[in-house]
Amino acid sequence: MQPLKQYWVAEALEKALGDPGNPENIMSFPQVIDLDEREEFPHEIINWLYNWKLQHYYIPTECGGEFTCFDEFISFVRVLSRRDQTSAIAFTTMFWSYLTWMAGTEEQKRTLASFMKDANGAMCLAYSEKAHGSDLLASDVRAKKVPGGYIFNGEKWPINRATISGVTFVLAKTDEVGGARSLSLFMVEKSKIDPANYSHLPKIFTHGVRGSDMSGIRFQDCFIPESMRLGAEGAGLELALKGFQITRALCAAFSQGAADTALRTTLKFALGRQLYGKTVFDMPQPKRTLTDAFLNILICDCATIGVARGFNTMPEQISVWSAVVKYFVTTTLETVVQNVSVVLGSRFYMREEHDYGIFQKVLRDNSIISMFDGSTVVNLHALLLQLRQLTKSRIKNAGRNQDALPARLAATFDLTQPLPTFDGKKLELVNRGGDDVLQGLELALTSLQNLPADASLNADVLQQIITLTQMVQEELNHLDCQVTESTFQFGHEQAPEVFDLAKQYCVIHTAASCIYMWLYNRHHLGDFFAKGEWLALSLRQLMLTFRPAKALPGRIDDEAVAQELVRLYNDSRMFSIVPFQLAKPQQQETTTDATQRLQLQA
Amino acid sequence: MQLKDSNSKPNTANAVDTIQGWIINQIAKQLGINAQTIKVTEPLTRYGLDSIDSVTIVGELEDWLSAELPPTLLWDYPTIEKAANYLVNELGISPAQTSATEAPAVNNKPQEAPKEKAWGGLWNKISGS
Repeated sequence: MQPLKQYWVAEALEKALGDPGNPENIMSFPQVIDLDEREEFPHEIINWLYNWKLQHYYIPTECGGEFTCFDEFISFVRVLSRRDQTSAIAFTTMFWSYLTWMAGTEEQKRTLASFMKDANGAMCLAYSEKAHGSDLLASDVRAKKVPGGYIFNGEKWPINRATISGVTFVLAKTDEVGGARSLSLFMVEKSKIDPANYSHLPKIFTHGVRGSDMSGIRFQDCFIPESMRLGAEGAGLELALKGFQITRALCAAFSQGAADTALRTTLKFALGRQLYGKTVFDMPQPKRTLTDAFLNILICDCATIGVARGFNTMPEQISVWSAVVKYFVTTTLETVVQNVSVVLGSRFYMREEHDYGIFQKVLRDNSIISMFDGSTVVNLHALLLQLRQLTKSRIKNAGRNQDALPARLAATFDLTQPLPTFDGKKLELVNRGGDDVLQGLELALTSLQNLPADASLNADVLQQIITLTQMVQEELNHLDCQVTESTFQFGHEQAPEVFDLAKQYCVIHTAASCIYMWLYNRHHLGDFFAKGEWLALSLRQLMLTFRPAKALPGRIDDEAVAQELVRLYNDSRMFSIVPFQLAKPQQQETTTDATQRLQLQA
Repeated sequence: MQLKDSNSKPNTANAVDTIQGWIINQIAKQLGINAQTIKVTEPLTRYGLDSIDSVTIVGELEDWLSAELPPTLLWDYPTIEKAANYLVNELGISPAQTSATEAPAVNNKPQEAPKEKAWGGLWNKISGS
């Protein structure tokens, strides 16, 4: 069994779901592709997950559930997402329950927990409107105050699970004057309102996640009792923005699951396919592509796990960390999927030829992740508005907190450390006190330089890690100068160059996350992790954002990384810094693509 | 408009005035509008400051006053007058804090707004254009 207990749920779920290559299993590739072809909502899969009691892990222990930390949460969402993003996204709309755990009354929390556990209930998020995109304040859905509640009018669209859900979190205008306090948030229980006064909009046909219930909801003079309002009147925007901090970071888990399957199916092909007298994997170019994809997954893993644990350790900094991960991880892993498709050649585009055609489904489904819960542009904008404050705090805090900072970083990045309970009330609209991850870079460099002699550690690899960490520090200093010398301007018409600065910030933050992850876990994540070739190669890859290859140290031998990739594949382990056990194939598949098709039809 | 009068003895009214002047100055500079046209009784959204901008400007205010403020200050007190009154009369921001000499925006007269979009002329400087 995996020693880190935050992975136990994911491993147990994997085991119960079984080999995704076996058509008999729930959430198998043949089954989810069949549903996708028919554009059908995955009712059976969702019911199976309820029966397995997975919904309990969305409810905090203090509200009667099993949820303890996001670290655990993202690992099981990866499991769902590696099999089927449609079901993963449909089931995981339940993480909107966090709005209630954060802001609800005891009664509202009880109601929602019971709805999820006892009634297999699901919820959806009704924020968007056709005319307004990301501009939440422009809401046309009105909630007019009347005795005992509100009268709702207006339409929300597009909404994932708008029709097939029992609770709708609706953002509505309660103050005609407008402004940041004009919105309120409601936890609308459909079973308790008059069906004559609301209706659902038709299913939207989408590029990917085709079985999703992508639709909308319309209210017509619909009475909503006051008891369904979450938090104070006027608190809607604040709650919405804090809720997004949570869900945006967690979206990374969808991408990680998809990238795993894209790489796994491609690797299977590359290891089995013979060309020019050798396997595709034995040819340098495909091998490099797959090795780099694996490195990118590890890089993203460090960032995702860092922010997931950061919710518990540094909630006041999550406005920044969450935006970093939502931008960087989702877009990087989209690129990974694209990159490995080249190795599959024309097979990636075929819907049946290889692994039941799961690759093309991943490609389509995964392309929504960087868009929902705040697009790439929205996340970078949220970040760039804070850059000046972040730089100021970094300069102000330099050299201070020499004791507290390493302790906070250790709590976040050392995966063996217990996490304090997450308190949603500690989330802040803007970062408080700077970004620990970047503040600690200098300390990390010192730690690297002072690492005790270790026979298992290759001196050249360590030297390269140190050199590249110095470069990360230089790039951070350079970024600080650029930000300091600039005069900030508000608004939505920021220059593209400022967006580039925000992107660079994400790269530096991610690089630092990789470094801490290694420093704090060298002794308990296995030999491959400890040896650090992956870190040297990853840092080099990240620094290519800033400098041409010839200005970087030469690429070290990546054979160990390639071999680890194959080992994880052969052992059916997650492509991750914590390669937890996946369901094993029931029989080693020696079947050809043609017999796989026969199995599907049988 | 006099933003800071170091000759007179600081008092509460003075602190309110100074804070108002500081915010006017910030808004004028950062939104590229003339300080004279900003009214302290108008909602800030009138000048194009959106809800997230209002949160980030509180960070600058915190730095200047060396005080921790509610990030939603300008959401709950959406005019310059209301915000300044709240800071002085409710939060007890002292006249001494507002007269700190470490407040570059206060010590400078409202500058002519930069014409370049987004973060002033930085990008032109970098690209050499």
